[in-house]
Amino acid sequence: MDMDSEMDILPEELELLESNYQLLEQDEQDYYSYIDETEPQPQPQSPKLIDLTVPSEPQTNGYKRSRSNSPDDVSLPVPSDGKRVRVCDSSVAAEAEEEDWLRYSPPPVAAEEVRFVKEKTVSRYASEIDGECMPVTAPGGDRVYAKMDRFQGEERLKKLECSGYDADLSSEPIGVLLERWEHEAFTKTLEASSECQSVLEVPEARVVHEQLWVDKYAPKSFTELLSDEQTNREVLLWLKQWDSNVFGSEIRSTSDDVLSALKRHSSISQNQKPFDSKFPRINRGSKWSSDKYRNARSVDDSGNSKSIQDTWNTKSRGTGPPEQKILLLCGPPGLGKTTLAHVAARHCGYHAVEVNASDDRSASTIESKILDVVQMNSVLSSSRPKCLVVDEIDGALGDGKGAVEVLLKMISAEKKPDGGKQSSGKEQQGRKSSKKGRKTASLSRPVICICNDLYAPALRPLRQVAKVHIFVQPTVSRVVSRLKYICNKEGMHASAIALTALAEYTECDIRSCLNTLQFLSKKNETLNAFDVGSQVVGQKDMSKNVIDIWKEIFQRKRTKMERTSHRSKSFEFGSLYSLVSFRGDYDLIMDGVHENILQLNFHDPVMQKTVKCFNSLEVYDIMHQYIMRTHRMSLNVYLPPVAITVHNIVAQVQKPNIEWPKSYQRYRTTMIEKMDILNTWRYKTPPHIARHLSASSFVEDLISHLLHILSPRTVKPVALQLLSDKEKNDLHQLVSTMVSYAITYKAKKSDMLPNNLRHEVADDLVMSLVPPISDFINFKDYTSNHYVLSLAMKQVLVHEVEKHKILQANDKTMALANGPREVIDAGTKKFQLANSNHAAAVDMKTVENQNVLSKQMNANPTSVSRNINSNEVVTDNSKPLTKGNRKTPFSFFVRGKKSNAEGFQSNDGSLQKESASKKDQFPLLFKFNEGFTNAVKRPIRIREFLS
Amino acid sequence: MLWVDKYRPKTLDHVMVHDLIAQNLKKLVTEQDCPHLLFYGPSGSGKKTLIMALLRQMFGPGAEKVKVENRTWKVDAGSRSIDIELTTLQSANHTEISPSDAGFQDRYVVQEIIKDMAKNRPIDTKGKKGGFKVLVLNDVDKLSREAQHSLRRTMEKYSAYCRLILCCNSSSRVTEAIRSRCLNVRINAPSEEQIADVLEFIGKKEGLQLPSGFAARIAEKSNRNLRRAILSFETCRVQQYPFTSKQAIPPMDWEEYISEIASDIMKEQSPKRLFQVRGKLYELLINCIPPEIILKRLVYELLRKLDDELKHEVCHWASYYEHRMRLGQKAIFHIEAFVAKFMSVYKSFLIATFG
Repeated sequence: MDMDSEMDILPEELELLESNYQLLEQDEQDYYSYIDETEPQPQPQSPKLIDLTVPSEPQTNGYKRSRSNSPDDVSLPVPSDGKRVRVCDSSVAAEAEEEDWLRYSPPPVAAEEVRFVKEKTVSRYASEIDGECMPVTAPGGDRVYAKMDRFQGEERLKKLECSGYDADLSSEPIGVLLERWEHEAFTKTLEASSECQSVLEVPEARVVHEQLWVDKYAPKSFTELLSDEQTNREVLLWLKQWDSNVFGSEIRSTSDDVLSALKRHSSISQNQKPFDSKFPRINRGSKWSSDKYRNARSVDDSGNSKSIQDTWNTKSRGTGPPEQKILLLCGPPGLGKTTLAHVAARHCGYHAVEVNASDDRSASTIESKILDVVQMNSVLSSSRPKCLVVDEIDGALGDGKGAVEVLLKMISAEKKPDGGKQSSGKEQQGRKSSKKGRKTASLSRPVICICNDLYAPALRPLRQVAKVHIFVQPTVSRVVSRLKYICNKEGMHASAIALTALAEYTECDIRSCLNTLQFLSKKNETLNAFDVGSQVVGQKDMSKNVIDIWKEIFQRKRTKMERTSHRSKSFEFGSLYSLVSFRGDYDLIMDGVHENILQLNFHDPVMQKTVKCFNSLEVYDIMHQYIMRTHRMSLNVYLPPVAITVHNIVAQVQKPNIEWPKSYQRYRTTMIEKMDILNTWRYKTPPHIARHLSASSFVEDLISHLLHILSPRTVKPVALQLLSDKEKNDLHQLVSTMVSYAITYKAKKSDMLPNNLRHEVADDLVMSLVPPISDFINFKDYTSNHYVLSLAMKQVLVHEVEKHKILQANDKTMALANGPREVIDAGTKKFQLANSNHAAAVDMKTVENQNVLSKQMNANPTSVSRNINSNEVVTDNSKPLTKGNRKTPFSFFVRGKKSNAEGFQSNDGSLQKESASKKDQFPLLFKFNEGFTNAVKRPIRIREFLS
Repeated sequence: MLWVDKYRPKTLDHVMVHDLIAQNLKKLVTEQDCPHLLFYGPSGSGKKTLIMALLRQMFGPGAEKVKVENRTWKVDAGSRSIDIELTTLQSANHTEISPSDAGFQDRYVVQEIIKDMAKNRPIDTKGKKGGFKVLVLNDVDKLSREAQHSLRRTMEKYSAYCRLILCCNSSSRVTEAIRSRCLNVRINAPSEEQIADVLEFIGKKEGLQLPSGFAARIAEKSNRNLRRAILSFETCRVQQYPFTSKQAIPPMDWEEYISEIASDIMKEQSPKRLFQVRGKLYELLINCIPPEIILKRLVYELLRKLDDELKHEVCHWASYYEHRMRLGQKAIFHIEAFVAKFMSVYKSFLIATFG
């Protein structure tokens, strides 16, 4: 009714409408084709689909559809449909009130119309339009700028008004169209999904773009795995070994079947599992895998069949769970460890339960979880036992430790009862455990741990008990073929070269490859073979083993693409740079370079390369020192290029022989040790000597000469009274030197014999210098011509030194007792005094000596029992040293007539006064026992000392 | 007791080698106005001897009565406290320390410990006026820049009753600021004649018969190092007496070793040989021979065997690498770099001349 009235009101407009309708229709077609373009689908399919969907569409849509398709319906009254009427009502009301403005307001429509009315005024760039313009966004997301034309506006208004009259046109606007289109898409997906039941690789991702390719193309079955065949099979084998324990005899795990299956590595092996049907069969996938299988087999079969046979044999002997209850998979990220674990677990009939770094991994929670998984038989998942997959076990150190500890505890708990019940039918036990779960916390389900770094400290205990599998990179060709397959699936164009480059760049990290590809496909870009490095490919932040880094530095890759030498060089630079900087331990890396660089075989006739290398090493050292001193860590970025420079100079194609850099560390530690020796020696020597010497001047100036001086060829180990005056003087000089430099000899075991003691008698006992200063000139491949004293001589010297020290200490105490008058540097002065007084003393002594000689006859019987040393001591009366010794107490007691010092010396002195003979003997025979004296004690006044 | 110590002059009057300096120092002290002093010169030239004699001149024989003390200081360094262990030699009036022993923490030694020592006025029991105490700092050139900077203020602030005597081998590593605050006393290495004179003096004292020219020979071998000269003199005495004019003077072992290295280098120039040389260099370094000395001696040995044409270039490179060695930390890199450079230069020279 309303409609009719409208028509009546504006009859003259109808003509205009008629004339414009063709255009409108065309516009609508445009719109459809436009939608088609936005779709990734091929264009011709779209109209067909629309046609197809028409019959199945709901009624309302059908009406709309038919109306839009047939322009003749325009003048017909609209069938009474509630919704439609309302739409019309509103549009009419709007028109009545606001005339054209409401109609004008939905921008998309306006855009279409503007474009249709004036093609030139629409542009993607605002700058191309002169005059007023307004941005318009199409439903597909395209943004255009439309010129605003006042004059044209009048005409358009008319047109809009007429379109407002037309019920069909007013319902046509974009909202409805979109709705319709969505519906179509929905039905299409429905169809597709029903179709997809039979086909695994569905095009659904085309519509639902959220799904990652990585997940989408994740291997669903064992045969699809990309990782190394051998690892796959061994993991599977390990899981199979649990069969008897977990499944009991319900499923017969015939060895031949499994073995052959594993060996052939085909999908046939799945047949023996009852739940195999749950795995979707793959049509295209198997074809792909079969050719993968072919080339892999040719490589692996010959080498691996034997090892599998071996493992199998060990397995078939024991029916229980495998030796190692934990499988530890390790390898760099993105090689498919987690995938393998899951696929293999599913393949063997387990329900994989994953615990990863994002879960709570404190010891208590993980324990309950493991218990849950390992011992309970889940009610829900009917027959499938669970298999625990602990992912990223090395990830968080503290947490990972908790997990490791729990696992270890369970293993150890397992071992004990097993040891006891070894004989009692294991199978039965196993079955029981699978049914009820045991009371002791033990492992009765396979546990697979996954880590990136096998040598993480947290994993150390686990490494010993677990079966470790190290993932190796799959071959590039395998990765590439897989990528190619996926690209084909996704309709993305990528050349094999580009994919190879990508795979190499990511180091066969399939996850990274796929993510990159997906990203590029989203951007509608193609993978450029030479831009892999510069493109957005995320490189792994992965630190390599130091040894590998050294290898990278010293080894030049044989590049296939010689033509792109410049590019490959920059790529090499980038990769080496990141390699070195990720590792971070520049000092170690450079030490390794320094250690190994001279062992390389590079052509270097006049050593210019070597010079260059060392210059860069120097630069490194200077920079490093500067950074350390100024704490400008930002400068650290300039350190890796040093390694790259070295690489460019010396890198060879052949494989380098890398040695761990030990020499520098060895040098450091030994030098510090020796420095310590020097410092303690310096500390021990009296300050009036030591203050003039620095530690380095000890080595530089002193030691060589000191060794000569300490071992004169002239002294002979004979009885001292047989020495001439000159010899005695020499000996005394020697002893005083030794004392003043705090050097003595010490007995050592002969196995610690330094090689330069060639004059040493082949004796069990070896005397060597303490501190070991002879070591300081004991260079490798160097023979010094130092004379080494005989053992007997050394013993004499040791004794003399000891005696001298005691005398010195005595002198000191006596000097103190004598008061400050005499005190000038007690130790040394005294001795000089003693030396200078020799001449004077000799007269006095000669008398005494005669006395001594007569006494010695009597003393001899007692001294016979003593060793040679004491014998010498007894007989060395006439030695100047002892003269000095006797001289001092003598003079002291002469001075302090009545005084008697405490201790045996004073006692000796007092005795000395009484009888000359005793006086001579006592200084020689004393044996000082600490804290003990058999001297006669006598009260004495302090003023007697001072007098 | 070695002759080195036995015949060390105890007072400024007895100083033989640097008698002029000794007289000046004596005048300085008797005027009771002693500035801060900086003694520098090569090792074995008598810096320490002069300082000790000076101290004796200042404080009398009491200065020689020292006690060794190994003390640990607790230093508060911002957020944490550091324990610093230092050995001191102390008498009533002076203290001797080597702040560079504390390594990279030498700054704290200077800032805290030295300041602390300098702050305390000496207690003069006898009521002498103007008593001051003396701090002897060894190896000032090994102090870090920061430590030297913090030393400046201390020197000024407590100069009323504290004198610093600094002792180092080279003044080039002492900052300008410190040098300008001190009276710089350069103790140069004694000339060979002076050394010979000292040796003859010792010989006379010991009652030895020296053949003519013998002392001169020792002095020549001693590298103008008095300590070494006296030591090798005594070694000669120990090895053979009476002296003969043709008597061999025992060489220093490490110098012998370096000359072996030098002949190794001259024999063959290749990375392989360089590797062997590296092992020997490590041997020297392990035995605490300072790398600068090794390099210096090595150059000396190489120059002796070298064609004149190359000498200039080799010297240039030696100084170049020594400079870098001082900038850096791992001496072995730099010494080896020098050896490699030498090998390269020498080999190309050989090829150019002999084809």
